[in-house]
Amino acid sequence: MARKKKQKKPSFRLDGEALRARLKAKHQLSEKALREKYPQAVKFLEERKLLGPGKIREHATKLLTSGALASSLLLASPHSGMLGGPPSTAVSMTASDLVQSLSRQLSSLLPQKIEPLTSEQETKISHLLFRTFGIQAVPQLGSTRLNHVYGLIGAEQHLPRYPGDTINQHDEYQKSGITPGLGAWGYFTRSKKDLTPDLVLKEKYYVAVQTLYLPDWPKRTKFLYDWYKYRKVIVVNPLNGKSIVACVADAGPAHWTGKHFGGSPEVMAYLGLNVGMQKGPVILFFVDDPENKVPLGPLEYNLTRKVLS
Amino acid sequence: MNKIFYDHLINIKEIVGELDNYELEVEEREELVAIIDETFHQHTLEIILTHLPSEYHQEFLDKFHQAPYDSQLLDFLREMMEIDIEEAIKGQAEKIKKEILKDIKKAKK
Repeated sequence: MARKKKQKKPSFRLDGEALRARLKAKHQLSEKALREKYPQAVKFLEERKLLGPGKIREHATKLLTSGALASSLLLASPHSGMLGGPPSTAVSMTASDLVQSLSRQLSSLLPQKIEPLTSEQETKISHLLFRTFGIQAVPQLGSTRLNHVYGLIGAEQHLPRYPGDTINQHDEYQKSGITPGLGAWGYFTRSKKDLTPDLVLKEKYYVAVQTLYLPDWPKRTKFLYDWYKYRKVIVVNPLNGKSIVACVADAGPAHWTGKHFGGSPEVMAYLGLNVGMQKGPVILFFVDDPENKVPLGPLEYNLTRKVLS
Repeated sequence: MNKIFYDHLINIKEIVGELDNYELEVEEREELVAIIDETFHQHTLEIILTHLPSEYHQEFLDKFHQAPYDSQLLDFLREMMEIDIEEAIKGQAEKIKKEILKDIKKAKK
C-alpha cells in the first residue's frame, strides 16, 4: 500500500494552570467525599499505597509484572517444575496441551460469529493471554485502539525490505511472492548491507492493520503513523490456539475484501491459515512491551509450566 | 491499558483525545491524565462501597489489593449487590467525563 500523506495535527493553546486548578479541585472533592464516608476503607487503601494519583496503576503494574516475570522464568527454565509453589500447583503442559487449552477457553469467550467484542470479553481475553503466555496483551494502549480486535485475517505477500530486494532473497515461503509496491511504512532499511537480523524478523512476522479506517486517523495522522510503525501485536487463531507475536508493517486490507487484517506468509503459515481460502478468524491485541522484551515469532513452549490461575 | 478491573466501564479515551488537541508538555499532559484517572478511581470506589453491604467491604478491599486487574472482582460485586454495579459505575463515569470535558473547554485560550 502506498505511503500515506501526512496531515498536520490541529493544535490549540490551553491554559494549563487553570485546567490543573479545576481538575485538582474536582479531585480533592472526590477524595474528601470518600474519606468522610469510608474512613476505614481509605485508611486501608492509604496504608497499602493504593490512593493518590497513579498509585493504583503502579500497584497493578507491579503485580502484573511480577506475575509475568514468574511466568517467564517458569517458561525459560528447564527445571521449571522445581520453581516455587507446591507440586500440586504445577501442571505439566506440552505445546499441544497449551494451544488446545487456549482454544477451548477462547471458544467460551468469543461470540459465535465475527462481531465486535464487549469490553468484558476483551478484558477476559487479556487475562487469559497473560495467564497463558505471561504477556500483557491489550485491545487498547493508552488512547489508541484498532477498529477491530477480532476479525478475519487474509494472506499477504512478502514486503520489499530494501531497494532491489527480490523474493529469492527471502528465506521461506517464496511461492507467496513479494508485493510490487512498498509497505505503508516504506522500506525497512536503505540497503541490503543495512539489513539487521531484527529487521529480517520484522518483515518475516508482520501484519497489516486497517489504520486507514481509524476514526482518529485524519486528526492524529502524524502521531498514529509513528505509533503504529512496527507496533508489536499478538495474533491468535482461536480455532487451534496457535499464537504468534508480530509487528505492524503495512496498512490494509481494504473494506471491500471483507477482511480486517493481513498476515505475512510466515504468520499465516504458523497460524495454520495458509491453506484453502488463506483466511480465518483471529484475535489481534497490542503487546504492551515498553522494554522490548517480547520477541517476535511463534509463542510455543514445550516446558513444564505453572498455570497462574 | 486495562489494568484495573473497572477500566472498561470508564474509558477516559475521549478526555485524553480532547487533551491531545492542545499543545501540552509531555509532563503536563501526564500530570493532568493522572489527576483525572485518580478522580475516576475515587468516584468508582465510592460507588462500589456505597452499594456493597458493609460486611463485605473488607473482603472486597482485600481482593482488590491482591489483584486490582482481576475481572472476577466484578463477578464478586454482581453477586453481592442488588443494583447493576456496571451501569452505576458507567453512569457516574459519564457524568464526571462530561464535567471534565467542560473544564477543558473552559481552559481553552
